[in-house]
Amino acid sequence: MEKKKTFSMNYYLRYLLFGVVMSLLPVLTNAGVIKTSWLGIIGGTIIYTIAGLGLNLLLGWSGLISLGTAGFMGMGAYISAYVTGDLGLPWELGILLSVVIPLVFGILIGLASLRMEGLYLGIVTLCVSEVLRKTFDELEPVTGGFSGKQAKYPKLLGIFELDQKGTFILLVVIMVLLMMLTYNLANGQLGRALHAMRGSQVAAQAMGVSLLKYRLIAFSLATAYASLSGALYVHFIRFVYPSTWTLPVSLVIMALIVIGGLRSVFGTFIGALIVYAMPDLVLKNIPVIGDINGLSYVLSGVLIILVVLFYPGGVINLFYKLQSLFTGKRSAERAVETAAGVEENRTEEGHE
Amino acid sequence: MSENNLSMATEEVLRIEHLSINFGGLKAVDDLSFEIRDREIFGLIGPNGAGKTTVFNCITQFYRPTEGRVLFRTKEGRVEDLVGQPVHSIIRKGLVRTFQNVELVNELSVLDNVLVGAHIDFKSSGLAQALRLPGARREEKKMREKAQEVLEFMGIAALQNEVAGGQPYGVRKKVEMARTLMCGPKLIILDEPAAGLNDVETQQLAESIHQVREKYECTVLLVEHDMRLVMNICDRICAISFGKFLACGTPSQIQSDPHVQEAYLGEKEDEA
Repeated sequence: MEKKKTFSMNYYLRYLLFGVVMSLLPVLTNAGVIKTSWLGIIGGTIIYTIAGLGLNLLLGWSGLISLGTAGFMGMGAYISAYVTGDLGLPWELGILLSVVIPLVFGILIGLASLRMEGLYLGIVTLCVSEVLRKTFDELEPVTGGFSGKQAKYPKLLGIFELDQKGTFILLVVIMVLLMMLTYNLANGQLGRALHAMRGSQVAAQAMGVSLLKYRLIAFSLATAYASLSGALYVHFIRFVYPSTWTLPVSLVIMALIVIGGLRSVFGTFIGALIVYAMPDLVLKNIPVIGDINGLSYVLSGVLIILVVLFYPGGVINLFYKLQSLFTGKRSAERAVETAAGVEENRTEEGHE
Repeated sequence: MSENNLSMATEEVLRIEHLSINFGGLKAVDDLSFEIRDREIFGLIGPNGAGKTTVFNCITQFYRPTEGRVLFRTKEGRVEDLVGQPVHSIIRKGLVRTFQNVELVNELSVLDNVLVGAHIDFKSSGLAQALRLPGARREEKKMREKAQEVLEFMGIAALQNEVAGGQPYGVRKKVEMARTLMCGPKLIILDEPAAGLNDVETQQLAESIHQVREKYECTVLLVEHDMRLVMNICDRICAISFGKFLACGTPSQIQSDPHVQEAYLGEKEDEA
């Protein structure tokens, strides 16, 4: 009981706990409990989660659509591979550049988005993504063309050479940090401004929300998350091909946030787990059905229909419901908590 | 900006001068002028399609007037012409509005919706918010308490954690009004505040508009179809028809004005 209370009291703790559990996976592979191949799949899930968090800020919170996630992921991947490989610069700089350069493009799209809505924005972002993919094909000196490009596991601060397991833990750490950041942003003034923009543009403006500013912020964040996930991808998979960054990747990321839960941080991860990891971990092991090509797309398609029809809040809401089933007094507990929080705040101010 | 150009009597808060707006060939508002004094409850009335909401949109810069000026005395006491200023900057000057068809974020809680109204008062940077630095956390808590106070004042504090989309219309209207009170407004513009409310709710609304003026020391401009409400609570009224000025004065002056009777109340004497 005592433990449960702290568990629900501090959300940082929740994320940390989640991070610790995830970091245990490599240990479990060492112990032979789970297969080594699982690490790669869960690592991919983490990468998709990071891109999904960005798209969730854009699609979920701000109500703006983008079909260009794959292009920006690829851009991040190639830039980091080029900077660390060809230029021989440190890994950290590679990550930084692979976020900053795509960011410029994200801002440009944000500017364009002021003149476009819905479908048209989707078309334009898709075009940008396709132009980027074609660039990966053609810009051989940088991208290596069709034969792709290699990269190494990260070398932190120029000293610590990571192996696959180390990189996996690095991915977990970055994902957990981003989850916290996203949670904070989404539940503060910025999140409310994005909400307001989605809810009603006129009301948002009347309340002092600059559409230009917040659309730029939304697109910048989505682009930064996507390109960061791409940069992490290239250092985890250690290979990047132009043919990876096509529309299906963008669609899978969109599917995972819809299935997991729009406007939910944990939901994004659960969505990634269902859409990305489940086909490889579970479906492929089922005889006969597992041999069908493209089964994962069928699964995400069916799941989207089911979720949209019967569970618009996403799978994450299933967990909340289960939670409230087990702890019947949850809402009452929460009320006490907030009251305590206010009290605490008062004394805090008293001291100042 | 030269001061003599933007002159306004000291007791005036808002001054509309020769306001006109054309939509294609249609003159929705035609050479309209009126002024609102400090702490006044001012009504704008007119038959359907008279251009009342258009006037609101011209004041709040959702529409750019073709001609004319909208002089406003800001929170800092300066007189500014609002015409041509960005829509999202208007609230910073102390002018805030509600909408005819309640515009709330349905997925957010009542409290969070009210907090949207405090958007411009947040000083901490996005980075400070993302990292939840102590300053940002304190600010958020302070605003939350302020929002709770406002909800308390509107009598809907018990609903603060409910989802706004699930609330009845009357409550949603109150939430929207509460949202306008967060920014410390000087002038609140209410677009048909009584539309869709029953008699009891309308009565409550009249009271709360009065209370808002007293407690928040602000001026209220409203558009309304409910004549009883308008005649009851307004200090002065401006009547328009087809975008043109008809008359301006106290409720009794308006009721006895022949132009208004002809254009508006004409056949339905009993409503006045």
